[in-house]
Amino acid sequence: MSIRTEIHKQNIVKIFNPKSIAVVGTNNVKGTVPYDILFNILKTEFTGIVFPVSPGEKSICSVKAYKYVVDINDAVDLAIIVFPNTVCHMALEQCGQKGIKGVVIISAGFKEVGEKGLEREKQLKQIAEKYDMSIIGPNCLGIINTDPNINLNASFARKMTEQGSIGFLSQSGALCTAVLDYALAKHIGFSKFISFGNKVDISEIDLIYYLMEDDKTKVILLYLEEVTDGRALMKAARDVTSLSGKPVLLLKAGRTEAGASAAASHTGSLAGNDEIYDAAFKQAGIIRCDNIEEMFNIAIAFAYQPAPRSNKVAIITNAGGPGVLTTDAAIHDGLQLAKFSEETTREFRKCLPANANIKNPVDVVGDAHADRYNIALNGAFREDDVDAVFVILTPQSMTDIETIAKEVVKVSKQYLKPVYASFMGEADVAAGVDILLRNKIPHYILPESMCRSFSRVYRFYRDIDINPHPQRIYTDVDTKTVHSILNEAIKNNHLYLPEDEAVSILKIYGFPVVSSKLATSPDEAALVALNIGFPVVMKIMSDDIIHKSDAKGVVLNINSVEEARNTYSAIIEQVLQIMPEARIKGMQVSEMILSGEEVILGIKRDPSFGPIVMFGLGGVYVEVFKDISLRVAPIDEIIADSMIKQIRSYKILQGIRGKAPRDIAAIRECLIRLSQLALDCPQIKELDINPLIVLEETKGCYVTDARILLNTSTVQ
Amino acid sequence: MEREEIKNRIKKVIAKVLEIDESEISDNANFSFDLGASSFQSIRLVAAFQEEFNIEMDEEKSLEVQTVSEAVDFISTYIT
Repeated sequence: MSIRTEIHKQNIVKIFNPKSIAVVGTNNVKGTVPYDILFNILKTEFTGIVFPVSPGEKSICSVKAYKYVVDINDAVDLAIIVFPNTVCHMALEQCGQKGIKGVVIISAGFKEVGEKGLEREKQLKQIAEKYDMSIIGPNCLGIINTDPNINLNASFARKMTEQGSIGFLSQSGALCTAVLDYALAKHIGFSKFISFGNKVDISEIDLIYYLMEDDKTKVILLYLEEVTDGRALMKAARDVTSLSGKPVLLLKAGRTEAGASAAASHTGSLAGNDEIYDAAFKQAGIIRCDNIEEMFNIAIAFAYQPAPRSNKVAIITNAGGPGVLTTDAAIHDGLQLAKFSEETTREFRKCLPANANIKNPVDVVGDAHADRYNIALNGAFREDDVDAVFVILTPQSMTDIETIAKEVVKVSKQYLKPVYASFMGEADVAAGVDILLRNKIPHYILPESMCRSFSRVYRFYRDIDINPHPQRIYTDVDTKTVHSILNEAIKNNHLYLPEDEAVSILKIYGFPVVSSKLATSPDEAALVALNIGFPVVMKIMSDDIIHKSDAKGVVLNINSVEEARNTYSAIIEQVLQIMPEARIKGMQVSEMILSGEEVILGIKRDPSFGPIVMFGLGGVYVEVFKDISLRVAPIDEIIADSMIKQIRSYKILQGIRGKAPRDIAAIRECLIRLSQLALDCPQIKELDINPLIVLEETKGCYVTDARILLNTSTVQ
Repeated sequence: MEREEIKNRIKKVIAKVLEIDESEISDNANFSFDLGASSFQSIRLVAAFQEEFNIEMDEEKSLEVQTVSEAVDFISTYIT
């Protein structure tokens, strides 16, 4: 842990639990940020002492004001700076002199406005480091702590949020106000609400760790516009999950952002920014959400209800159609309908009307009142096979919505199993929904949202992994030689590593590579082919030709000496017609692997997450089918296995239509070796092994073609 | 116009716009940090200086002026 991280850890606690606050730069102008911040702190009855610091005023909101923060005689735990950006550094300097360790800078006009603002921000960072202070912001909405022992609303949000167990972190201040308004309407409460703005000092990583240890927080929500340090974010999320069991939900803006304009390799093209984010978040156990609504749908499920033991649910409905819809959605999201015991069925048969469906989904029929829901709820909760209950209601003329809502609340409190509700509609069900939400029953207008939210919760607890997997390191690798090959190529201004050298590197890293030899004349090609044994493959060798198939530079299945000789000349003729300027070294003659399945393996280097490993169905149509999986290196056997199983074509590898299963273990080993290569060699910007030909189970696999794009700015 | 006279007139304008006592205004006082000028008041100060000295100042540059002595230097360039 770095010294600054350690300092932040101590200071953040004071920031959120201050005994005294100075609002530095406040004024008496109502409706402005400097005034509203102070007013909100006073209005929410902050339990500590507040010191307005305002050079032009004697008092603000009837509280004595100080000209400078250093004029305050008492100790101050937290400073909220609301001065114009041009003088924030002066205020911060005085805060340092005063011994204040925690600071929130609300003021805007820093990094987000360009070079001058960036300079101002750097100045703030220097001052913070000089005095061992920690800063949240600048350019943020502020912070909220709903703990009744603190009652702090140091923000310019319109209203204080309700108390709850959701910790919310946001890079965007404006989104915070929208979220607060949304949450208020749905009685969603927060433990901490933090807008961290430009994160000049304290980052989302520091705050995630703070919320991990905060006993008032059960769920962590994060809104990000940029991921500065992807690996640190992954580690923080993994730590949170494994050490505290708290889920991290993330909404990342910019899904549609265009990736690198012209990718040079298949991996580069297939592993777009958003695909990498998706893979990295999944790998770190982060629950990625598509929008605010989905984020809160899942958040309330985590915050309000216990963890389900399994995915077996009981559905209770007063309408057949919605019951079927819910069943469809549940099955679609990987849930199972629980089976009722004979005892439960007997009870339902006895107590529910004859036309009721007494099997799961239980239909208590359209004219049901609360008593029927009571019977169905109790029966479902008591049933051993049921681990969660879904309550569906449609508002008929005789449906007593509020009473049923109260019944759901009352009955569910007697059991430790989760309950979710979908009172379908809007206006008529509003009062009932309000009762559910106030009593922490997660409610969803659509049953599909309910099933999806439950499914995300179930999968989180199912996949929670508290045991780190031992990482296999292959020690039989001569990294020194590999570095010297790569460095030499970079020094010689190669953008791509020559293919024979790329293959050499893979050999050094223990990849099985087909036997091959370079031939520089038709006769030599014929001789090499004879020595390797027919059939052979012939491929053009030229540093100017990256996509050999496109240049008609590959011929398969050459079966005789004569054919080899003729093919040599034919390939050169065809290639020169397409690329007359190409400098041709000769022809690579390789053993032809028969009856294998073609897969692709690759590496890409991402600015936030570092080396990424790719796996997919290979061959010439790889970019058409885009059937790939990605993971951030390093990967272990379990992750490698999940990569292989993730692709849609996995069934092909398992063997279909009489074909024998392929050697999955060999692919797994190649992926782990590739991950090691990616971590060892930052000189590799992108790498494609396409194809890796995979033979039948236990028979291995072979690299037949490889391409390495160099990171020309890196020499090890 | 003498520098001293410009400074005294500037201080009078500041005192009036910010509604503070002229004696509180030191030569190196920062409009926001020492005298409590809000962003709106900073704009009003620029307008009041222009009116006081009957000059038209570059708006962007004038808002970069932060202290009394900087204001004296800046306004002097328009007068002399």
